[in-house]
Amino acid sequence: MAVADFLITLVTFIAIYSLFGIGLNLKFGFTGLIDFGHVAYFMVGAYVTVVLTLPADAATYGGIGGFDLPGLFAALGPLGSLFGWVLGVVGGMVAAALVSLAVGVPTLRLREDYLAITALGIATILNTVVKDEDWLFNGPYGISGIHKPLVDVFPLSLGSFTVNMAVFGLLSVAVFAYVAYWLVNRFREAGRTGRIAMAVSVGLVSLWYFVMPAIDGGTVELTKNVLWLFDPTAGPNGGLDYDRFVLILAVGFLAGGYHWVERTINSPYGRVLRAIREDEDVPQALGKETFQYKMQGLMFGSALAGAAGALWAVNIGFVSPDQFASTITFFAFTAVIIGGTANNKGVILGTTVFWAIRNGTRFIDVPSQYSIQLAAARLILIGAILIVILYYRPQGLLGEQDYDIDLPGSATGGSDDV
Amino acid sequence: MVDAGLLDAIVQGLITGSIIAGGALGLSLIYNIAEVPNFAHGDMITIGAYLALVFNNPAEIPFLPAFGSAPLPAAAIVGVVLAGALGAAYELTIFRKFRQKDADIITMVIVSLGLALVLRNVVLFLVGSKNIRYESASVSNTNFDFLVTGAGMTVRTTQRQAGDVVTTGLWGYPWWLLAGGLILATAVGYGVFRAYRREEGFDTVYLVPPKILGTAVAIATAIVLGALIQLAPQGTDPIVATRIGLSIKHLTIVGVVLAAMFALNVALKTTKFGRAMRATADNMDLAEVRGVDADRVQLLVWVIASMLAALAGVLTGWFATNLTPNMGFTLLLPIFAAVILGGISSPYGAVAGAMIIGVSMDVSVYLLPSHFATYRIAVAFLILIGVLMIKPEGLWGDV
Repeated sequence: MAVADFLITLVTFIAIYSLFGIGLNLKFGFTGLIDFGHVAYFMVGAYVTVVLTLPADAATYGGIGGFDLPGLFAALGPLGSLFGWVLGVVGGMVAAALVSLAVGVPTLRLREDYLAITALGIATILNTVVKDEDWLFNGPYGISGIHKPLVDVFPLSLGSFTVNMAVFGLLSVAVFAYVAYWLVNRFREAGRTGRIAMAVSVGLVSLWYFVMPAIDGGTVELTKNVLWLFDPTAGPNGGLDYDRFVLILAVGFLAGGYHWVERTINSPYGRVLRAIREDEDVPQALGKETFQYKMQGLMFGSALAGAAGALWAVNIGFVSPDQFASTITFFAFTAVIIGGTANNKGVILGTTVFWAIRNGTRFIDVPSQYSIQLAAARLILIGAILIVILYYRPQGLLGEQDYDIDLPGSATGGSDDV
Repeated sequence: MVDAGLLDAIVQGLITGSIIAGGALGLSLIYNIAEVPNFAHGDMITIGAYLALVFNNPAEIPFLPAFGSAPLPAAAIVGVVLAGALGAAYELTIFRKFRQKDADIITMVIVSLGLALVLRNVVLFLVGSKNIRYESASVSNTNFDFLVTGAGMTVRTTQRQAGDVVTTGLWGYPWWLLAGGLILATAVGYGVFRAYRREEGFDTVYLVPPKILGTAVAIATAIVLGALIQLAPQGTDPIVATRIGLSIKHLTIVGVVLAAMFALNVALKTTKFGRAMRATADNMDLAEVRGVDADRVQLLVWVIASMLAALAGVLTGWFATNLTPNMGFTLLLPIFAAVILGGISSPYGAVAGAMIIGVSMDVSVYLLPSHFATYRIAVAFLILIGVLMIKPEGLWGDV
């Protein structure tokens, strides 16, 4: 497997989990709700979207539905069935939000530590329900044969091999160029430690991505890695294959979710959420119904988790209750805290660091009988990083983000004292 | 053949409750005095169970030479002591530092979560994920059949020996004895309650609260009377019959947990350190002003709580006859439910909460259709949420 393929899988993962983490950040970072049951909404989003888009006559599925929304709009061509899938995603997000509403009504008034434990309990119970009730969503057998949006269109070919290579290759190079431009700008702004960290990590990644393949596989491998959007083996003339489309889709959703959350927390509405996090009594004294704000924050974050779940289902092509264990929530918490609580860029950075450690270590060669040891060692490392970061840098790598509107008299911009 | 009924479910629930109580005692200490909602408690239980395994059955652990096997009680004691040392390590290397930084409760939750991740994966790393069992003598169940007939009650005990069901005992109590025994037990219990109770005052501290002591004495009297006075069977043609399955193992588990609770109670109420711990729980700053060394108190809390967790781990592993790296984490939810239910500031409350959780879990499994057996933990949770809605400070307010 070429390094480019691995990177595409990894970045798709990171994009999906970042969307999940941004949902968590809205609850935990901005509103101050410790929702240890976040994975439940990931599960609800995934299952509801899958069931809404599943063909009615799906084999080996004995649960509710198969509502086949894409089939309903299939007469309108591929875009019609894409629209059907998007409707399914919206359905999944709404379902996740409604479930969190039902969870929030009794639990949101509790003390923060009680909220954490009850949320964890409810997520565990929901997972048990999905696992044990075969009539609901097929129980422990999971759902396979998931509808994948636009899967018939791919591999996308624009014409001859050369045209494909030129177009997709240029797009790939353009992405690299943009990333480089962005990195240079960040490098200029960063302080000394930031610069060193950036230089080392960019150096290591490019060594791994460009130099090592070039030494091992010569120019063929290097070309594959540079023109990563173009897959020469897809279809007769090469082209854009489905994995790369899922990557683009996931990054697109992430961008949408990021933008949406950014707009929210920079609005006066978001300022109330942050005020609740700092001291709930103050916004209450100013006449804000804090319970409603907390509930809306919870539902909003859950809806984003639901969207991430829908993407997860498309990416994996199979959902089963075991995929939604509570460890996923803890991973997301770790990612949010590593990157920087209450910082959406930090969530993406933290998720990247987390999954790079979690999946990147697969290149360490160990005999297969030690695979459990390797997996355990990674998680030990992650747990230790979590504690060390909380001690030495509790605000995370990036710290709390800046907000659009400064406070009167605050020269430095965004701060905690809202 | 007599079927197991509601009574058996209740007895099983008390055993489940004892196991939960073992964890809940330690967690309530940490929660209350160290003010850490310790999500690593489940994994501290796992660690304790595996520490005892090291001495009980080292052959199952891949990297250890098989250096022979200590009997389970001895291995358990060594494991519990080692777990205490680990508890000191958690406090000294992690939680003390965060406390010195005045970390808030959310940070403590997440730190304990990180510790949980580390502990569980250390077990996975060293031992792997296979099911392992303790090296211990197998214990056979004795079934107690209670047959209520026209003339009184007959008790029949049966045991499975070498594949056959053997009746090992048959005796009975006529109605007059049952009624008399119950009245006597109640009277003795009430008498103890009256004799022990003192004038209420803010400085009245009972070693055992009179109500609990009275109830315990009444139950003990009834059991002793029942065991001593065994008359002829009162017929074997029952109007109502029920069966309870028990073994020495179950009684040991209940006994060990009750003994641990009592020992903790004595330590908290009669020793200088116990008083320091209760003072710290009440108000840490005030306790420090009065010369309590808070760091030492916290260290002791973590040591004791880790030892209690390890004890719960050994009992769980023995009861369930296998050990897995996830065994503690699955117990975490019922334990938290028990601690919050009992009110986090009282060890008795924690045990009572654990018993309520355990009994309601097993009774609901008995009452609901068999399909719902997997929702045992969900039942514990529904109770917890219900209590939090109505009485957020727990069923019992303070010690």
